[in-house]
Amino acid sequence: MTLLTGRARKLRRAPLWLAVTIICVVCLFPFFWMLLTSLKPDSDIFTATPKFFTTSPELSRYSSLWSTGFPRNFLNSLIVAVGTTVVGTVIAATAGYALARFRVPMRRYLLIVVLMVQMIPQVVLVIPLFIIIRSAGLLSSYPGLILCYLPLTISLGIWMMRSFFLSIPPEMEEAAMVDGASRLGAFYRVALPLAWPGLSASAIYAFITSWNELMFALTIMQNSAMQTLPVALNEFFATYYNNWGGVMAASVIFSAPVIGFFLLVQRRLVQGMVVGAIKG
Amino acid sequence: MTGETLPAARRRTRAARRWGRHFDSTALPWLLLLPALLVILGLVAYPIIETFWLSFHAGADLTTGPFVGLSQYRSLASDPDFRAALLRTIYFCVFNVVATMVVGLLVALVLDALKSRGRLLGVIVLLPWAMPRVASGIVWKWMFDAQYGTVNWALNAIGLHHFSGYAWFNSGFSSLVVISAAWIWQSVPFIAIAMLAGLRSNPPEIIEAAQVDGARYWRLVLRVRLPMLRPLMVVLLVMSTIWAFQAFDYFFVMTVPPGGPDHSTEVLSLLTWLNAFSLLQQGKAAAIAVITFLILAVVTVVYVRSFREATE
Repeated sequence: MTLLTGRARKLRRAPLWLAVTIICVVCLFPFFWMLLTSLKPDSDIFTATPKFFTTSPELSRYSSLWSTGFPRNFLNSLIVAVGTTVVGTVIAATAGYALARFRVPMRRYLLIVVLMVQMIPQVVLVIPLFIIIRSAGLLSSYPGLILCYLPLTISLGIWMMRSFFLSIPPEMEEAAMVDGASRLGAFYRVALPLAWPGLSASAIYAFITSWNELMFALTIMQNSAMQTLPVALNEFFATYYNNWGGVMAASVIFSAPVIGFFLLVQRRLVQGMVVGAIKG
Repeated sequence: MTGETLPAARRRTRAARRWGRHFDSTALPWLLLLPALLVILGLVAYPIIETFWLSFHAGADLTTGPFVGLSQYRSLASDPDFRAALLRTIYFCVFNVVATMVVGLLVALVLDALKSRGRLLGVIVLLPWAMPRVASGIVWKWMFDAQYGTVNWALNAIGLHHFSGYAWFNSGFSSLVVISAAWIWQSVPFIAIAMLAGLRSNPPEIIEAAQVDGARYWRLVLRVRLPMLRPLMVVLLVMSTIWAFQAFDYFFVMTVPPGGPDHSTEVLSLLTWLNAFSLLQQGKAAAIAVITFLILAVVTVVYVRSFREATE
């Protein structure tokens, strides 16, 4: 058997490393190209043969973005994303705990309903949610957009939190309750800290989803001062579509926080999401 | 720990707490579930019903309008733009889902073959998923730029001179090619990593047994390992179908005007949004949204059914 796999492996090795190279190039090139274009002087951007390096990087595009509405859009995005993350994670943690630890009637159906929420196409929600938010007087407000983002994020969050709570032995909470903690206290002081990986995974998922979202942001944030980054970047792109350097600099600023966040917690996030998908 | 060894005081508090536990096991779970239920009922269930309701009305300019029964649907059925968009959405969806599943499987197999050495590659593979779609849409458009794009340059360099200066966004079909490339780029990561987790869960004994029987690599993958992943595959197929069917961001960002040139890249999600918030044809938009919803519901049920039949 070892002989066989040894031979098979040798035969497979060359295509394998070729595949690894292709995957790396395809995955990373758009990032590299975005960053490089944002730093190249215009004379290096508009060349018939692309230049894959630059000898005179310039940061002026980044500093000139500072004087536009971009910092405000950045702040809007941050507030909405953090708001969604906090509210969504609290909802996901409490519901996930209830579904993991209690014999709730119809628990099976509740779990299926939660899963179905993940499957609902967003275009079905966008018109009525717009009407709801408008009649609540929350158009162009942070809470209005955060409300729209909750349905998009809590479903996977609940599943992730539930599976993490299930993996924690209930004896630990029981021990805390024997020592005088209430059920809620045991949840808050014992289970929640132990489920920290799941908590951070569902938090990051909520952050990335709400940071990147375009359709609801476009619909709800009608006042340009309240626009989030996806909408502002798209508008910037539509207005200055020939200013590729500037557009790329804006794209870098837009992508950087979410990519950084992702790199910080990627392993946990992936575990959580995959568990959600497999169990689903 | 038995009752006899516990101090009496402790036993008393324990008895006194029994009532509290009764409360904890009946009311507390509902209290914990309440926020989630409110969101699901108020921001998902009610909106779905409302969308159906609106689709039976002649809503325009953001008013509900008079009840018109099924006439929105009737006029959609004879609307050539809608029919073209529906077909386009289906083609886009089928092509991209198949491509994503195949590429995702290949990437997962590469990661699986690398064993623990593939950890860094796993992170690299996932990066496209985290990138905001508005930003990646712009970057992909830039890479496919007619004059200064790297793709035309590369195609020209390998001898396909036809592509020198080729304007991808001048026709609907070539625009869809670029949008598909970006879409596959961003949706493969999640599919690949989920498939990798599935492949890793294959019991090693079965793989070894098949190898002892002399099964070649591809035979092993297709006949032994993938069949074990069928439940996961169905879930991923459903998820990627739903993503592809409601793809919006890339279309909105990359085509000018959204859905252009000349309506040739309009898909159902875009058509819904444009009708609702740009043309202010709320009733028509709701009807398109309902059709999207029903198609995806049917597709999901069919997938799950066929999966159940296959496993029985």
